[in-house]
Amino acid sequence: MTSEVMELRDVSVRFKSRKSFFRHTYFTALDKVSFSIKKGETLGVIGANGCGKSTLLKVLSNIYSIDGGKIHWNCRQVSLLALALGFDAELSGRDNAILSGMLLGGRKDEVLGRLDDIIEFSELDEFIDKPIKTYSSGMRSRLGFSVAVKMQSELLLIDEVMGVGDGKFKQKASHAMMDKINSEQSVVLVSHSMNLVQMLCDRVLWLDAGKIKKIGKPDGVIGEYNRFIDKPRPQNI
Amino acid sequence: MFITKTHLVEVFFTKLVLNLKSEASKTYLSYVWWILEPALMVAVLYLVFAVFLAMRAPDFVVFLVCGKIPFLWFSKSISHASQSITGGRGLIHQVSIPMPFFPLLAVFQDSFKQSIVFILMVTFIFLYGMEVSWIWLSVLFVIFTQLLLICSLALVAAAIVPFLPDFKYLISTGMMALMFGSGIFYDYRERIRPEHHELFLSNPLASLITNYRQVLLENTLPDWAALTNISLISLALIAMMMAYYNKTSTIYARLIAQ
Repeated sequence: MTSEVMELRDVSVRFKSRKSFFRHTYFTALDKVSFSIKKGETLGVIGANGCGKSTLLKVLSNIYSIDGGKIHWNCRQVSLLALALGFDAELSGRDNAILSGMLLGGRKDEVLGRLDDIIEFSELDEFIDKPIKTYSSGMRSRLGFSVAVKMQSELLLIDEVMGVGDGKFKQKASHAMMDKINSEQSVVLVSHSMNLVQMLCDRVLWLDAGKIKKIGKPDGVIGEYNRFIDKPRPQNI
Repeated sequence: MFITKTHLVEVFFTKLVLNLKSEASKTYLSYVWWILEPALMVAVLYLVFAVFLAMRAPDFVVFLVCGKIPFLWFSKSISHASQSITGGRGLIHQVSIPMPFFPLLAVFQDSFKQSIVFILMVTFIFLYGMEVSWIWLSVLFVIFTQLLLICSLALVAAAIVPFLPDFKYLISTGMMALMFGSGIFYDYRERIRPEHHELFLSNPLASLITNYRQVLLENTLPDWAALTNISLISLALIAMMMAYYNKTSTIYARLIAQ
């Protein structure tokens, strides 16, 4: 049995945008990216804005197709952790929690079984049966986060979601997310917080303009990344 | 990524029920609109054609109901389905979901509402005084054939619009053409030359409307050959579109992001 949950070989993604009726421009978001994710490991993905981190997560979760290369999945369930997934403002918090949990990969019985836990974590109490259009943005985030953190998948993909809500809830949410990442679950974590990546990840992948600049132990990759971004760049006058 | 097809079906029906609930909660009259809207459409057409244009054929009101109600089901389902993939952008960017989910959800949502409208339509025709017989049961085959036709065309329309957004304008023009070309306000046997009857009935919607009237107003069994042809062509188209979506599903997420 293989210890890798996923393997990418020379994966490329190129976006096309229309300039006029016949003219298009192309943008390479991922350029021949190859790496694998081991069972139970937390892989951090770092890089500047627009370097292809979010595209990579969408490729890993089979949302985006690829233009070149191969992906081999050794797991049946991959979830991109999304807050407020499929939320409908007209429906109650309870209905939204059920649908969102199912879209995150849970079977209906499983979501219903965890519903009390989700409601308790969200601290929404009697508001749970009111339409979410009556919620404040903080209440919506709390519900979305509670659903996401309580659902399970074999490979979890996280894009900068660590804590939401006000002070006290934010602390609780951060702890819950860290527990989830530190569990036996395989995780890919995209973050701009180098402290968080250093603390939580077993390996770090540094993306630059769609290419892998470096992959390895957090100390080495983060150190080199920090030196790279601190380096003075030539200014255009 | 969904673990099994059963899970996907479970999500489909949960979303269907919740979408209907959400839609009803947006208006004061809630579920009443499902019946009121088609009733108002028929009333407007009756006013225009029977009163102002004096097309006072016997039983014109039931004749109109039998044409307009199935047409509304067809046109609404295709229009909603055509924009379902672009409308599902939020979900498509966050979860790996097969693309047929969206047009089929739109079709089933409209079909559920339509089932209630059909029950009321048959009740209305009965109360109007048309003769009832066991032949009326065969209308279920006509309804099923129309559902297959709608599903097939909904899958095609939904596949085209994200690539060619301008196509949605052609759909609304096409619906207008179909409304006038499917014999909703007129009996084709009286208005169209006999040599053109075959051409007129080659329009599947015109053929289905003729079958609805044949069963409910004339107490005659439907044209089985026509229903079989429409069903087989629709099934072939559904199979082709499913194969197409199977190969291209993940392209759409990128397409609507570009």
